Amino acid sequence: MPSDALKINLLGVELNNPVIAASGTFGFGHEYAELFDVRRLGGISGKGLTLHGSAGNGGMRVYETPSGMLNSIGLENPGVKKFVETEAPYMRSLGPAVICNLGGHSEEEYLEGASLLNDADVDFLELNISCPNVKAGGMAFGTDPLTAADITKKVKAVSRHPLIVKLSPNAPDVVAVARACEDAGADALSLVNTFLGMAIDVNQKRAVFDNVYAGLSGPAILPIALRMVHQACNAVKIPVIGMGGIATAEDALRFIMAGASAVSVGCMTFAKPTAMLDIIDDLEAYCEKEQLSNVLDVRGII
Amino acid sequence: MAVILENERIANGIFRMRVTGALPGRAGQFYMLHIPDSLDPFLGRPISIFEYDTASGETSFVYHTPGRGTAMLSAMQPGQTLDVQGPYGNGFPLADGPAVVIGGGIGIAPLYQLVKELRSKGSGRSIDAFLGFKEESYLTEEFERFANGVTVNIGGFVTQDADFSLPATYYACGPAPMMRAAAQAARDARAKLYVSLEKHMACGVGACLGCTCKTSGGNKRVCKDGPVFFYEEVFDAI
Repeated sequence: MPSDALKINLLGVELNNPVIAASGTFGFGHEYAELFDVRRLGGISGKGLTLHGSAGNGGMRVYETPSGMLNSIGLENPGVKKFVETEAPYMRSLGPAVICNLGGHSEEEYLEGASLLNDADVDFLELNISCPNVKAGGMAFGTDPLTAADITKKVKAVSRHPLIVKLSPNAPDVVAVARACEDAGADALSLVNTFLGMAIDVNQKRAVFDNVYAGLSGPAILPIALRMVHQACNAVKIPVIGMGGIATAEDALRFIMAGASAVSVGCMTFAKPTAMLDIIDDLEAYCEKEQLSNVLDVRGII
Repeated sequence: MAVILENERIANGIFRMRVTGALPGRAGQFYMLHIPDSLDPFLGRPISIFEYDTASGETSFVYHTPGRGTAMLSAMQPGQTLDVQGPYGNGFPLADGPAVVIGGGIGIAPLYQLVKELRSKGSGRSIDAFLGFKEESYLTEEFERFANGVTVNIGGFVTQDADFSLPATYYACGPAPMMRAAAQAARDARAKLYVSLEKHMACGVGACLGCTCKTSGGNKRVCKDGPVFFYEEVFDAI
């Protein structure tokens, strides 16, 4: 029987547990709902949306690296309208908290997308200013504190949903961006998105990806992501959702001890579809072993 | 989890693995094979079903070793456990009447279970197999058990051996140049051809969008919407 030790309250929303499926790794829930009981998750962050939708990038899109992977999907998505009409109600029907992730190529796109999403029954809006795989956009908004603050403020002004800003680890100063977003009205932060990486095929003598650079995720990035989450948590007062290479409950606890109020699991789900269920079970067991009334009792102890 | 019963090299860089404890699957479907709890290699490898034996409950996979992950799979020993997720993908449609299968290299792997299923569904039908290889042939005698005729081509163009003008259903799996030639031949002869595609995959279930392929009906996922497509749908993508 699950106890209440994993229940958390994130910005006024009750979550079964602090384990959230990371955006871009879980579609809108359809595929994994066929494979396991997704109702057990704390939340699901849907595939990153853009106002008009996108067919995504051409060429190679995924490439395994030691303990991780590079991706260059390029925000393939059905667009905001389709999400509001069909995907948001479906995600709501699954049970876990619903996070809608919104990217964009311009300020106008972000604002129009955020306005349309006011019609969607979601718990949180996650502002993606950190996708490294779309040209002239996404990450361009998230690497400079002033730009990040500006888009945060404007989206906050038009959105009725609690606003999570997803930060890029590729910013020269992630902490400065975190502070700027908090000051601009972000209700929470999530970090990290993928690290900009690269792969070369020596036989073809060319870059593996058409865009040359791609986003690195997986256990390989965990120590760097953990350091950044720790720094961000020390710099801001708003809740931080920590992520980056989480594969086990121990990894999840590391982010919580570093200060995260919830965690996201990304590409580990690709390697093992039920990884998040194992993490939830093992977090429960940890709380029992350590006699914690709530898992967040150890939050920020480092 | 499955237990490896056999993992033998059958040709240069080609291995056949027999496991017990995998779930059943149809021709053209695949499993993600992963060394248990391994973070490096991090992801499973999509490997099509070579044979599912309903009597013994054993599943066989035939795979090549183009990279480190599959090379590590090939080093696994009988008795070891293997993480098997699946079966995934749509599989081949089993049409009535005569059938022609065309395979190139490791692309013959999903076609064996196909000829087996086609034969069990229609004992009197004609099934012809055209199997092409670069340097050495393998598993051709297996196809002879269920196909009426098996034509083996080493070093040439296997698509030139097949007659696409027959009133048959055609199935093809192989390297890109072979698939393009098969699709062109099918278009010229107005043949009914199904192709099984291969792409790098991360999840194998349709969530990551890593294996998206452009089709006449928009983007589709090779892992979830495929890997088997009617050739016209993916003509420009192969």
